[in-house]
Amino acid sequence: MSLARIRWMAMVLGVLGVAGVVVLHWLVFFWVGTERTMGIVQRIFYVHVPSAWVTFLAFGITALCGAAYLWLRDERLDWAAQSAAEGGLVFGAIMLTSGPLWAAYAWGTPWTWEPRLTLTLLMWFVFVGYFLVRASAEDRQAGKRMAAVTGVLGALLIPLVHVSVLWFPSLHPQPVVLNVEEGPTLDADMLITLMIGLLAFTLIFFSVLFFRYGLEHLRHQRALETREQPRAA
Amino acid sequence: MTVYLRQVAAIVRKDLLLELRTGERLAAMGGLTVLIAILLHFAIDQGLVRMQQLAAGLLWMTILFGGMLGMGRTFEMEREGGAIQGLLTSPVPLDGIYLAKVVSNFVLVTAIEVVALAAYWLFFGFNYGNAPLLLAAVLGVATLGFVAVTTLFSAISAQTNMGQTLLPILIFPLLVPVVIFGVTATGRIFASRPVREVEGGLYLLAAFTVVALTAGTILFRYVVEE
Repeated sequence: MSLARIRWMAMVLGVLGVAGVVVLHWLVFFWVGTERTMGIVQRIFYVHVPSAWVTFLAFGITALCGAAYLWLRDERLDWAAQSAAEGGLVFGAIMLTSGPLWAAYAWGTPWTWEPRLTLTLLMWFVFVGYFLVRASAEDRQAGKRMAAVTGVLGALLIPLVHVSVLWFPSLHPQPVVLNVEEGPTLDADMLITLMIGLLAFTLIFFSVLFFRYGLEHLRHQRALETREQPRAA
Repeated sequence: MTVYLRQVAAIVRKDLLLELRTGERLAAMGGLTVLIAILLHFAIDQGLVRMQQLAAGLLWMTILFGGMLGMGRTFEMEREGGAIQGLLTSPVPLDGIYLAKVVSNFVLVTAIEVVALAAYWLFFGFNYGNAPLLLAAVLGVATLGFVAVTTLFSAISAQTNMGQTLLPILIFPLLVPVVIFGVTATGRIFASRPVREVEGGLYLLAAFTVVALTAGTILFRYVVEE
């Protein structure tokens, strides 16, 4: 893909995504019905769930592109993995801040060791590790490979982490605050708002991913140009 | 196959011999293990909680921190002397080097587990239950999983300018299964619960260890290749 094409796609996705987020906020504040038991705070849901979805998506892309990079050694795969990981880190941070804000009201406590919460927090730390490895590697090429290994091993072990965390609460009585999960099935207006949220966040994520990918592309081009330039006399 | 095993055994022998002669890592790990026990004595108000109730958790935290301290230096000595180049260019396959490092680290961590068990028995009079073989199996399987993950990441952290500071951030999120199943299985053994209550945890620990070891063996080559 040419650089101009990447930029154009990033721009289109970005405009659509931002429009989607504007619509989402209008729906959240003025249109969608208020949930009966949790009241107004439940509206955080429409930001929280889409960011969680994007975080998982980003993690998947990072791990897949990382594995493919180790195999094929195509620099573009590394750019994509890195770009997705950055998106994942940001959307993960949104998820991890919006979640406790909501939970503080809905459950009466900002944090519980509920399996999904624990899983996402640990996954976010794997992303942090991914960037620390990249940034601190003494050799840039080795840094790319080692970051890819971190992402791949994370993706392989995260399901086991999930299984173990699922198993863990069964040892203790379930806290009552947690039973929010078996809440009512979504009303049509809530479902529509959620779907728009998911769409808008996904578009923004891919827009950022393409912009970031384009930046790496540009850096690569620049590096080639400086190398090709004849030495100044 | 026999050649492969001999090569692995040669590296294990070299590592353990170096460790025996210098005692560097073992002294630091063993020392830390005993010191953690001493600090815990002062950190926990034994008028409020009975130490025995926390036994499994304390033991595992000690093993993780003590083990991490030593394993962070798995490739350090070889890098300092430039011997890593020799090792990597030797006819030993890269996965063989990884497996050898896992084995020598496993021996080290098992040694500090013995130290930790002795220290806790001495200081706090912990009761370790009446199934020593089962305890050994749980500790062995969980330790192998812990070592498999940590050895791979110590090869990574050794090639960064953050060094060992990076290691806990990389390994602890992934070691949650070892902690959960290790602590619950050991806790039940300490409480002399029936074997079937421990089995489930042991199988899941084994699953974790198999995945970690296989992934480590495959991925190690990408970490050290030049």
